[in-house]
Amino acid sequence: MSHGHDDPTLHPEVQISTSRGYFLGFAISSILMLVATFLVTSHAVPPFGLLMVISACAGIAIMAQIYFLLHIDISEHNIWNTVALVLFIPLFLITIGLTWWMFSQLYLHTMIMPGMPGMMH
Amino acid sequence: MLVDLAGGWNPMLGRLAWSQIPYDNPILAPLFVAVVIGTIIILGLITYYGKWTYLWKEWLTTVDHKKLGVMYIILGLVMLFRGFIDGLMIRTQQAWAVGTHSSGVFGATHGYLTPFHFGQVYSAHGLIMILLAATPLLVGFMNIIVPIQIGARDMAYPYLNALGLWITAAAGALIMISLFVGDFAHNGWFGYAPIFELQYSPGVGVDYWIWTMELVALGTTLGGINILATIIKMRAPGMSWGRLPIFVWASLSANVIALTSFPALQVALGLVAADRYLGAHFFTAGLGGNLMLYTNLFWIWGHPEVYFVILPAFGMMSEIFPTFSEKPLFGYITMVLASLAIAGVSWLVWLHHFFTMGAGPYVNSAFSVATMLVGIPTGVKVFNWAFTMYRGRLTFNAAMLWAIGALFLLLIGGLTGMMLAVPAINYMVHNSVFVVAHFHSMLLVIVYAIFASVIYWFPKVFGFKLDEFWAKTMFWLFSAGTTLVFVPMYMLGFMGMTRRLDYVFNTAWHPYLLVMEFGIVVYMISVLAFFALLYVSIRDHAKNRVGTDAWGTSRSLEWLTHSPVPFYNFAVLPHISTRDEVAWRRDNGIDHVQPDHYEDIHMPNNTGVAIILGGLTFVLGFALVWRIWWLCILSLLAIMALVIYRSFKGDPGYIITAAELEEMEKDAMRREAQIGKQHYRVGGGVLGDAIAYERSDLPPLASQPGSSVGLDHRS
Ligand code: HEM
Ligand SMILES: [Cu+2]
Repeated sequence: MSHGHDDPTLHPEVQISTSRGYFLGFAISSILMLVATFLVTSHAVPPFGLLMVISACAGIAIMAQIYFLLHIDISEHNIWNTVALVLFIPLFLITIGLTWWMFSQLYLHTMIMPGMPGMMH
Repeated sequence: MLVDLAGGWNPMLGRLAWSQIPYDNPILAPLFVAVVIGTIIILGLITYYGKWTYLWKEWLTTVDHKKLGVMYIILGLVMLFRGFIDGLMIRTQQAWAVGTHSSGVFGATHGYLTPFHFGQVYSAHGLIMILLAATPLLVGFMNIIVPIQIGARDMAYPYLNALGLWITAAAGALIMISLFVGDFAHNGWFGYAPIFELQYSPGVGVDYWIWTMELVALGTTLGGINILATIIKMRAPGMSWGRLPIFVWASLSANVIALTSFPALQVALGLVAADRYLGAHFFTAGLGGNLMLYTNLFWIWGHPEVYFVILPAFGMMSEIFPTFSEKPLFGYITMVLASLAIAGVSWLVWLHHFFTMGAGPYVNSAFSVATMLVGIPTGVKVFNWAFTMYRGRLTFNAAMLWAIGALFLLLIGGLTGMMLAVPAINYMVHNSVFVVAHFHSMLLVIVYAIFASVIYWFPKVFGFKLDEFWAKTMFWLFSAGTTLVFVPMYMLGFMGMTRRLDYVFNTAWHPYLLVMEFGIVVYMISVLAFFALLYVSIRDHAKNRVGTDAWGTSRSLEWLTHSPVPFYNFAVLPHISTRDEVAWRRDNGIDHVQPDHYEDIHMPNNTGVAIILGGLTFVLGFALVWRIWWLCILSLLAIMALVIYRSFKGDPGYIITAAELEEMEKDAMRREAQIGKQHYRVGGGVLGDAIAYERSDLPPLASQPGSSVGLDHRS
């Protein structure tokens, strides 16, 4: 109850949101998604490059969504946003990182992949 | 169409056709008739007694967290019953179809279920029990208890709360209708790639499975957000983090898990849907897909989910043990830390569900160690409960019996979990019924805790206690069933029986399977005892009425307000001075102190939007399953329009004036005063007062903010 008023639109979390921001966030993520889809379906880039480009697109889309749609920042007003970020970043690293690790180990043991030591034999 | 569909499709009805209705199935057709007759009777009764307006006004459109919680619990109990019937069917098939000489009926070579039908039954059983029975039951309890325990008048977002319930109910309806229209998935509750791909499962079963789970996931996430916001923002004055009742801490950690993990499930299923609807190749072996990626994504959610369901159960046990040991909970701080630690570790262990994938020794040992780490905070909890009971004044009433039963099952489930966490052992017993026995021990911890809580909190919500005799009878029958079903199951696991067998080739296992069948019959009797419990308790409710503090030894804030809890929860928001506020007030003799004046209260209005949105999500789910595109688009547009409409309309709420409030409070107190008299005549006055007035050395009561002794309604 630190903000002693009843009108929810006066809360600082709500104040920082603008319709321009929402549209921008929506447009950026849609465009990035379309770009990624186009690159995959057109086979325009070799597999490894494709992987890199899609990951980059996904990364930018996440940033745009966090900033424009979720309004998560590290300002004093929105201390719970910072808490959310502190929770989110490690989880993100855990899920992506551990998945990457376990699957690279799996490929090492079960598949012969281009560019892996298995190719030598 | 982006993919080739087996068996026609037309623009009007999608894949829906007469041939999809199993009217010739000897099990489903009679069931369908029974369901239709039952529905007609219920609807007829409601109409006959003219209860439609009451139902709509008081229940279907309500935003009161207690009523929503009660409906969550009713939904959970109904689905628990459906899941139980599935379990009965599975056990019966396995007890029957043993060995080449076993007979077969209804088109099955052995037993009475064809393999395809059997697959559907066990998939539905698992999905229902975890997502539509345990989860709604727990969410229901969190819904009812958390706001009262932190001294709030409602949830942070009452309308969102209703929305969560109705979306979950839509999921329940979707899986129920799959019984009579089309069929259900046969790929197990968690699904396997690539069998759920369209080539291998061309029917609509897998689609039902996808959209049911998507809807529960959505509903539960919304509920989770709400509970988190409520706990963070709505605590009564003085309710600092260190004074939060332990069940609130458990709900907090559970919902952090829900919030972070359910999206992973939604993504995983969304990708399966992309494969099946758009012809993508995320989880096929060809075109760059990867089968194990599905399993990985699923368990990124799946393991945290099992802790999402066990943590509230731990919270319930942590409330019940102190009350019936007449001691504060031992090790509050360690209990809180243990809950948070369990939540934390739960994100780090998911690979233990597929050790046998073959990621190699480094990965397997790392996840093995991480899994075993969970044993530390869980052990802390078990010892805390034991020390809470140690030298306490124990009352072995029904709630306590269920809670102690949960403790024993936790020990068994936890230890077998530790065994499974060793990759060397896991390679031997993975996919055997040993795993099934492990997680049933664990999930039964939840069921036991839930029945304990039903008994424990029932008087708070409805104002009268459940019948002790029938509650205990049910407990003993249920426990006998548990023993008879799961001890042989562990043994069969060690003998190498794999899970999900629609035909058991090894006749040496037959005796065990028969014992399990007997066990499930005992379970069935305990279900009847539950019905008897409800019947007898409601019949005798006048005798069993209770006052504010139903048990006389309760500790946390929910026992401060009237039973049944008025819709505004607290006439005047309490000022919290300590942990275990009610016990403290009782010890200081100020538990019956009433406020000297009232103030206006602002309450949210009921709304029909939530239930309509729930209905529309059901239509959307159904249309997606049958690929009726026009209906998909229509319902989606309707949903969006309604959401936008409601957001702009908002809810100004309404005011209960101080005068009205005072009137209602007086009524409640008058009722309670009568119970008080009855109670003391019957109970011999052992409760409450003897303890309450022990301490005369404390400061005068008038120092309590906003209250005075004059209005003590007991005197
Ligand atoms: C002491 C903590 C626990 C440990 C060490 C543990 C360990 C494990 C392991 C290693 C497996 C994989 C077995 C296999 O498939 O080979 C497993 C399966 C499972 N556990 Fe636990 N577990 C623990 C607690 C729980 C809890 C609290 C629950 C739920 C309330 C639970 C529910 C399940 C379920 C549902 C499965 C199997 C899912 C399936 O294959 O269908 N476990 N557990
Ligand atoms: Cu697990």
